[in-house]
Amino acid sequence: MEAIRSFEQLEQYRERLKASENKDLPTVMICFGTGCQANGSRDVAEAFRKEIENQGLKVGVQIGFKTTGCHGYCENGPLVALRPSDILYLRVAPKDVSEIVEKSIKKDEVVDRLIYKDVNTKETIAQYKSIPFYKFQKRISLRNIGNIDPTSIDDYLLHDGYKGLAKALTMDPDAIISEVEASGLRGRGGGGFPTGSKWRSCKAVPSDVRYVMCNGDEGDPGAFMDRSIMEGDPHSVIEGMIIGAYAIGAHMGYIYVRDEYPLAVKNLQAAISTARDMGFLGKKILGSNFDFDIKISRGGGAFVCGESSALMRSLEGKVGEPRAKYIRSVEKGLYDKPSVLNNVETWNNVPVIIFNGANWYAGFGTKGSKGTKVFSLVGKVNNTGLVEVPMGITIKDLVEKIGGGVLGGKEFKAVQTGGPSGGCIPKALSDLPIDFDSLTEVGSMMGSGGIIVMDEDTCMVDVAKYFIHFLVEESCGKCTPCRDGLPRMLNILNAITEGRGKEGDIETLQELCDVLTYGALCGLGTSAANPVLSTIRYFKEEYDAHIHDRKCPAGVCKELITYRIDKDACTGCTLCAKKCPQECISGERKQVHTIDESRCIRCGVCKDVCNFNAVKIE
Amino acid sequence: MEKVTIIINGREVEGIKDQSVLEVARENGIPIPALCYHPEVTTSGGSCRVCLIEAHQGGRMRLVTSCNYPIRKGLEIKTDTDLVRRIRKGVLELLLARVPDSDVIRDLAGKDGITEPRFFKDEGEDNRYKCIACGLCSLVCEEVVGVCAISMLNRSREKAPGTPYHKPSSTCIGCGACVYACPTGAISMKDVGATRKIWGKQFTMITCSVCGIPYIPEAQVDWIVKTTGKDRAFFGKCPDHR
Repeated sequence: MEAIRSFEQLEQYRERLKASENKDLPTVMICFGTGCQANGSRDVAEAFRKEIENQGLKVGVQIGFKTTGCHGYCENGPLVALRPSDILYLRVAPKDVSEIVEKSIKKDEVVDRLIYKDVNTKETIAQYKSIPFYKFQKRISLRNIGNIDPTSIDDYLLHDGYKGLAKALTMDPDAIISEVEASGLRGRGGGGFPTGSKWRSCKAVPSDVRYVMCNGDEGDPGAFMDRSIMEGDPHSVIEGMIIGAYAIGAHMGYIYVRDEYPLAVKNLQAAISTARDMGFLGKKILGSNFDFDIKISRGGGAFVCGESSALMRSLEGKVGEPRAKYIRSVEKGLYDKPSVLNNVETWNNVPVIIFNGANWYAGFGTKGSKGTKVFSLVGKVNNTGLVEVPMGITIKDLVEKIGGGVLGGKEFKAVQTGGPSGGCIPKALSDLPIDFDSLTEVGSMMGSGGIIVMDEDTCMVDVAKYFIHFLVEESCGKCTPCRDGLPRMLNILNAITEGRGKEGDIETLQELCDVLTYGALCGLGTSAANPVLSTIRYFKEEYDAHIHDRKCPAGVCKELITYRIDKDACTGCTLCAKKCPQECISGERKQVHTIDESRCIRCGVCKDVCNFNAVKIE
Repeated sequence: MEKVTIIINGREVEGIKDQSVLEVARENGIPIPALCYHPEVTTSGGSCRVCLIEAHQGGRMRLVTSCNYPIRKGLEIKTDTDLVRRIRKGVLELLLARVPDSDVIRDLAGKDGITEPRFFKDEGEDNRYKCIACGLCSLVCEEVVGVCAISMLNRSREKAPGTPYHKPSSTCIGCGACVYACPTGAISMKDVGATRKIWGKQFTMITCSVCGIPYIPEAQVDWIVKTTGKDRAFFGKCPDHR
């Protein structure tokens, strides 16, 4: 492929692509995100290829066919979207393929059994954009994901790709920084630091060498927005980095990607290579005097390497440990040179901000948190997956409108935001707008954007224990509070959930929390107390019940619960007795059954299998 | 070098821009306890968290480690506030729970009124487990000696210094710099006759031609000769008899 050497050539090339594009062509788009691939979308794609061949259809003439990045609605994968009809088919299997081609490609019919059916209203919806999960979203960051083939730079160019860069290269670098400042964009990795001012302070430090870096070491359990962007729209990240590098005067950039994201590495690597061939990277980009290139560095599996100073150590080939950031990385970052490190989602917003202007972007969101944010909505909610919404949406709207409410009609209890060192926000605060400052105010944080919905069956002490356990394992071990404090906190939480809690435990936990918050070295340690602090703050009565009454109100902590069969509800169907692995349930057919508590291991199988809701937890 | 005036505990003191608070404080006779910091090792500090102090700058207060906090214009330091004492106490209690056999930690914690930690204690080999995983040993080995024989292995509670795969290191010169630097005396080095044993490796020592006492490993002399070009004959006598 010939490199593009001027803005005119770029637009000519784009025009040629547009001229050869048939927008009315019925096109099948198969989600090739990691989630859908795990659900079998490769087989579905293969079935489509075969069907197209068998039917003698010509790709590009009678049918369009492409694989895309993640649509976000992962729990319903494999997803197949059709254009221009805008139909979304859920849970598609290879056996459904010929029917889809027959009805929806060759004719204008809908395969009813594959479309969305609302669990609450039982309403069926065929149109992608009308499904509640998508209807309330505003997709800026995810603008291309699901629409384009991430392995095709042409598809990116057809969707206005590299227009932001072309515009940026005609601008004064300082004007670009001003534009980013004016947009109000704040770091999407969790810190929420204003991106523009980070760039400006980096540029203000005199140096011959500067670096830009992209943090793709997404490690929060349940969070996968960065993965989807890197997999589904790699050029948007690359374009953002080129613009940032041009603005601050860097000539080398690094993308640090979690090694557990092989598809992200593959798609980014391919995108970088194509971008280089086409003149978007390398010497004299698009005929300008600006040189810039990007390398990928794969992480080694440590959670802490998502922390900026540890990430830079790791990039340098050293042990990924944080160091004190008393001198900021915009002054002394990678190889002690002024450096800008931004998250994947932050970079990917830059091209559209430059192209559409700061005012356009600042039109979304709240006063202090502009734009949109991608969240991974998971947990006990009907619709789980990746969603992008304007900043400031309330917790309630996110859970109910987009998430479709709590699973199984249970009572909504809390959301946990911000990853393992985030906090739990109770139902009472569900009118809280989700933005950087509101979340921090209530003792949680934005983090990278994980939102875990919890229902009435969730024990909040158990939740705190889960996250502290995660952090114990992931602490790098460099500083005392984190290395030695977290295991002591876990020890106390274990005791509380096992019925060995004692008077003063809550106070001791709070003291340890302070040692971490004030005394730890890096962001992982200073925020590690949040799961404990926020659950004590909003659910202290649950701690008290565990410690003083030896009860787990949510019925989760095994040592504190007993299973009993309700005499009035039991029909004597014998199902529980048959399924009990301990064989400790006795009773004659059609007689009330009883559980031998001394042998019960509280596995809950009896409760799960009972059709009459006769097994109770006390 | 740019001189900067800062305030420590209400007193104006002078230092050089980006010099550490701890150094400036000590030069001015203001005591701050510290374990993992060593003046000869530029990359040291920041891990034990014992030297925490309050840094007030630009209307903002942060608890920072004095050993690596650079002094800049307008900085005010408070080394003995309620918050500093409370958090340091917490750090020392955790250290004491980690290494209950260390006299150094026991003394330091005792000064803050802690004799017994409220938490479970770690138990190490021979009940003589004293390592606080501060990493100073490996920094000395890397930065001062330049051989990188040991490094900090593993993460979380398992973090500890060691040679690669815990096998005798091919690069260790037996100099013992790690032993001298260790703030809690946690590294074992034994000299028996003309043999030194450290990090699971044995070294033959050179004997002083005057007093007849073995005083330096041959491997260390080889390293010094190789890196500095010094005459090997110089090492025939120990420092006392040169």
